[in-house]
Amino acid sequence: MSKFQPLSDYQQSLVDGYQLLPFRFTALDDREYVLTNQAGEFIVMERSTLEALVRHRLPATNQFYDDLKSKHFIIDHDSSVAMDLLPLKVRTKLGRLADFTGLHLFVVSLRCEHSCPYCQVSRQSDNKLAFDMSVETAEKALVLVFRSPSRGIKIEFQGGEPLLNFSLIRYIVERAEAWNLAERRDLQFVIATNLAVITDEILEFCRDHDILISTSLDGPADLHNANRPRPGNDSYERAIAGISRVRDAVGRDRVSALMTTTKLSLGRVREIIDEYVKQGFRGIFLRLMSPYGFAVKTKWFKAYDVDEWLEFYFAGLNYILELNRSGNSFTEFYAATILAKMLTPFEPGFVDLRSPAGVGIAAIVYNYDGDVYASDESRMLAEMGDKTFRIGNVHRDRYEDIMTSDALLGPIEESFAASVPMCSDCAFEPFCGADPVFHHATQGDVVGRKPISAFCTRNMAIFRRLITLMRDDDEVRRIFVRWANSR
Amino acid sequence: MSCRLVFSSQVYSVETIKKAAYRFSDVLSVDIIPRPHETECILHFISGSKEEEQAQQIVAAFKNEVLDQDLRSIISKETEAIRNAVLAFALSKTGLQGGE
Repeated sequence: MSKFQPLSDYQQSLVDGYQLLPFRFTALDDREYVLTNQAGEFIVMERSTLEALVRHRLPATNQFYDDLKSKHFIIDHDSSVAMDLLPLKVRTKLGRLADFTGLHLFVVSLRCEHSCPYCQVSRQSDNKLAFDMSVETAEKALVLVFRSPSRGIKIEFQGGEPLLNFSLIRYIVERAEAWNLAERRDLQFVIATNLAVITDEILEFCRDHDILISTSLDGPADLHNANRPRPGNDSYERAIAGISRVRDAVGRDRVSALMTTTKLSLGRVREIIDEYVKQGFRGIFLRLMSPYGFAVKTKWFKAYDVDEWLEFYFAGLNYILELNRSGNSFTEFYAATILAKMLTPFEPGFVDLRSPAGVGIAAIVYNYDGDVYASDESRMLAEMGDKTFRIGNVHRDRYEDIMTSDALLGPIEESFAASVPMCSDCAFEPFCGADPVFHHATQGDVVGRKPISAFCTRNMAIFRRLITLMRDDDEVRRIFVRWANSR
Repeated sequence: MSCRLVFSSQVYSVETIKKAAYRFSDVLSVDIIPRPHETECILHFISGSKEEEQAQQIVAAFKNEVLDQDLRSIISKETEAIRNAVLAFALSKTGLQGGE
């Protein structure tokens, strides 16, 4: 008669020891630590458990042992499958690297009829045609667009106000579509517009060519109009009317909105979120101001610090969670991006949270004058006189020269987070990114000293808060899993 | 305002202490003086005088960070070969290089 082996036989197989796999750890709070493996899977435990783990004193009967094994922090003689699975998971996370540049921004005009004091692109008054991109420049830029090996190509029209040069948008869209008949890429178009000058003709064109509209909405009318002055002081009214017109003419899901936090926004996060709910948006991106353009010149960028913004952000996040608990499905998109990194096998590809940095290799900018920049922030910096991240010119340089220029490869290599002081042993590195342009702008160095980096302070605080919220509340965890998988 | 700490060289490497010092470089500058059996650290508070309690908290956090860096060093040494193998596989044959 067959018989099970005694219990001691199975226990024996587990006390033979384990081998550590690569992982990082960082304090979550006074009590616990976050551990992440190379693929970004994480576990939270007390320091005494962590120390026992590292010193090979963790018994197989410990409550964390199986979790550590299944998430590839350790292997033992029972299973070494992690040695096959972990590289596959890391490769999946890094998969976007091979896609190369997917987002191509065309600055078709630097002109704008708004005069926002926080403008980060240093717009020009709307009668200076010298700041419009020419057809010749657009043609040369399109050649570069289709040199990218990416299967997905998204062309985004930026400004100033790009609709002030709509004839060129029309030209680029039609030329790109004709080109794509042979290329057969997944081709998408986005216009980033304040909607103030949109016409029925433009709407019809957007409908016919399936163009997405990305607009600005800073909150309720008084806040939006104070942030975004224009002749007639009717920016809000035009934006709301424009959103409605896009939905009617192009499609309900064809318009999205972005907000920028100003000093005037602080203390009003609930009203801002309520405005987005009222306008029928599914979520909001609570976005802080960047240190570029007029935002620096007018000192609006320095009007609040990272701690004040975090207070604003967390108040907003709490309110959005309240909405979700009461049955209103609404997402904070920055958190959702990070949660996708934490809770799914995939890398969402948000340019600011990529390492190697997304400059040039994820997104690239063709400026109105033909200069090529490594990112939107790079051209913002250039309008302030700093052309560090100008990587070429569409009229003078070949694709190979641009993509292998020292101005591009140097910052990407130097800022690679996995080999940067402090980032290299930070548990949050798989969720974070390298932002060489921000650190150059704020510290004069593409790597930057992380202990004094606002980028680091802000993101570390958000990572800690998201993990703490999930640890402490199962309902929040369920909401976050939904956000992570909804993008 | 400054504070003196001594770490045993048998327990903590200079590298470990340097990493901890870097992490605190927003509030401290640290003189690291290696000797045969110990490493002396002089912690200088950057923003000048601190309340005694606040200074003690920073010093305690610095000591904990040295402990953490020591653990990180153990993990790093033990897993170096695997870490490199995983990355080598994950970054191989991306299709971006010619001839692959």
